[in-house]
This record gives sequence, C-alpha cells and structure tokens, in this order.
Amino acid sequence: MTTTAHQADPGTERATRRRDGLRMAIIVLGVIGLIIAGYTTYEHYNGFATLICLGGHHGKSTCEQVQSSVWSELDGVPVSVLGLIGYFLLLVSLAFRTELARAFGFLVALVGFGFSAYLTYREVFTLKEICEWCVASAICMTILMVLTGIRFLRGEPEAL
Amino acid sequence: MASRKQQKEEARQRRLEQERAQTAEAQRRRRMQMLGGVLVAAIALIAVVIAISLGGSTSAKTPPPNSPQAKQTFSAVKALLNGIPQSGTTLGDPKAKVTIDYYGDLECPICRAFTLGQEGGGFPQTVKNLVRTGKAKVVYKSFCTATCSNHSKSLFNQQQVAAYAAGKQNLFWDYAELFYHEQGDETTSYVNPKYLDTLAKQIPNLSMATWQTDQKDEAILAQVQADDNQAGQLGLQGTPALVVIGPKHETLVNGGNFATYSQIQQAVNAVS
Repeated sequence: MTTTAHQADPGTERATRRRDGLRMAIIVLGVIGLIIAGYTTYEHYNGFATLICLGGHHGKSTCEQVQSSVWSELDGVPVSVLGLIGYFLLLVSLAFRTELARAFGFLVALVGFGFSAYLTYREVFTLKEICEWCVASAICMTILMVLTGIRFLRGEPEAL
Repeated sequence: MASRKQQKEEARQRRLEQERAQTAEAQRRRRMQMLGGVLVAAIALIAVVIAISLGGSTSAKTPPPNSPQAKQTFSAVKALLNGIPQSGTTLGDPKAKVTIDYYGDLECPICRAFTLGQEGGGFPQTVKNLVRTGKAKVVYKSFCTATCSNHSKSLFNQQQVAAYAAGKQNLFWDYAELFYHEQGDETTSYVNPKYLDTLAKQIPNLSMATWQTDQKDEAILAQVQADDNQAGQLGLQGTPALVVIGPKHETLVNGGNFATYSQIQQAVNAVS
C-alpha cells in the first residue's frame, strides 16, 4: 500500500496519538498536583482554618498534625510550596518539545518522587499519622515520574 | 538483472538506511548519557533536600552534667522542690485534701512558661503557697500535644517514660523541672536518648542504672498511655490543663491555657 500526502502512515499516526495521550496524562496529573499543592499551601498560611480531612484527634485533624509538624517545612519553606514549584516546573517543561526539556521534566518528577517517598516515610513511621492530601500528591508524583520517564525515553519530534 | 539506475537507487537507499541507523544510535547514546545525568542529579538533589530536612533540628539547651550551668539550673529546681515529698508523679503531701491534676507535655512551650513561672505562669507560686503548706498536692499526667503535633506519639511515650522512670526514685519533679528549664524548640528534634540521659545525669541523687532499667518497665508506659487516654476522655483541648479535685467537687482551671496563681488559688478554695 502506498502512502499519499493526504494519508498518514498508520504507525506514525498511532505513535503520535500515544505521545499526545502521554502529554495529556502528564498535564492532567500536573494540574491535579498543582491544585493539591495550592490548596495545602493556602491552608498552611490560613492556619488550617478550613482544611478538609478525614481523621483527627485531640481537636486537630491528622492533616493538620502532619502539615504543622517539623517535617512540613524545609528550612522554613513549607513543603507544599516546594510541591507547587515542582508541579509548575513540570508543566512548563511540557511546553518545549526538546530532549533537554523532557529530561528536565523527568528530573523534576524524580526529585519530587524521592522527596514525596521520604515525607511519606516520615508520616507513616515517625508521625504515625496520615494526611490524605499528602498521599494524593505522592501518588500524583509517582505516576508523573513514570510518565515523564516514558516520555523522555521514548522521545518526540524535536520542535518548540 | 537490475539496471544501472536501479543499482544506484539501491545503494542510495542502503546509505540512507545506514545514516539513519547511525543517527538513531547516536541519539540513543546521547539519551542514555542524559538519563545517567538525570539520575545522578536527582539522587544528589534528593540527598540535599533530606539533609536540609534533617539538619538544624537538634537545638537542645542541655549543659554538660556537673558544669557550672547545670549546677545552677539544678539549684533553681532544688530551691523550688526541696523538702516537699515526692512519690511517683505526685508532688506534695499525699494526704492533702485537694489534688491538682496537671496534664502536660514536656515539649510544650506553654507548659514550660507555666511551670517556670514565666509570663505570669502560676506553678511556682502554687508549689510555694499551696503544695509546700500541705493544702494541695500536684499529680502530673501526660497529655500528648506539642510532641504529637510536631513529632510522634512514640517520641512522646519515650520522653514521658523517662520522666516517670525518675518518679520511681521519687525524683519525677526534678526531672520534669530540668526538662522544662532546658527545653528546646518544639519544632526541632532535640529530644533523643542522649538528651534524656543528659537530663538524668544532672540529678545527683538519681541512680542511672535503676533509671535505665525502669524505662523498660511496661507498667510505666501503660501509665503514660492511661494518662493520655484520660485527657482525651475528659475532652481536654491542650496543655497545660489543670483539674482541681477537692472534697466538694472538681473543676477545670483554664483548660489548655495558661493558668495564673490567682486562678489556681480560687479553684483550690472553691473545691476545698
């Protein structure tokens, strides 16, 4: 079968669809992560006045206990702010179709995943409390690490 | 047999194929190098982030045992407690008609201010005027607030058990007072076995060997947990919380907030 100018190669078309699907999944997860980080950052500076959380005791929700703990800040910067920056950088990396941008996106997701894993360890084994928002963000970052890894290794046509 | 034109076309195709393969190989190699770089950078960044997270979190103020500063701190503690009977976590005459249950967390900075009489905290005056005179006794009970907010229940149990273990030698209040005097920033991880040991070593009459053994006593841990559960059942919202129990009735003094001496005195008189 010959391929005319109006009829794309089915293999190439499939690959393009896969790449677009991957980008879309990264965008959706990145935006979800951005919303979670934005909400927890807002609550951090709002004194957790309207923080929604399932568990709690001693008049404090488990989310508040986790997010006001010593592990909730990195040298005075709330980790939710770091998450906000991470998700933002990840989304920005998608705007560029260069190998360097894909590598950068993967790097951000990898660091985010590593730090999320460390914070989850602190939640479970040190604080012995679970914050649903932190877990949701950690799940987002884990999936994003896999997706950005695939995007980097698979490659895309070079274009801005 | 293929024509000369066909042969040239085939050669051109082979050359293009070879060039494509070489380009793909070079690209693959570059990508693998980048992958290596990304992984190394990620590990380095994660290590830095964790190091920052762990760092700067050991702000203990414990002076070395037997140092002039330690002796000075212990003198202040002794000046308050000297001559007052202690039994377990109870300070004062066991037969005193009024009992003041003091729910506290040794890492709680408001408890520190209250206990040391800072910013109008009424504890030292209560000891001097009500406990020393035999009118009331104070029973310390554990309630996890600051430690649970910043750290964990297991750390809370560890530090409270250390203090209760000193109570087995009737030196609980010496230990608790020293803890409050040398308390660090609640958001830092200053409480560790070394900190707890250093406090114990500052108490001259405390047998270190017995204290170490007593910390493994399951009954002490059970007491700490029972106190914490009791605070929960009473619906206490924070520390320090004082429950004043007398022959007439019992009353909560400014629960979870700072109690002044006059508030405590009023409550003691009301229940007597």
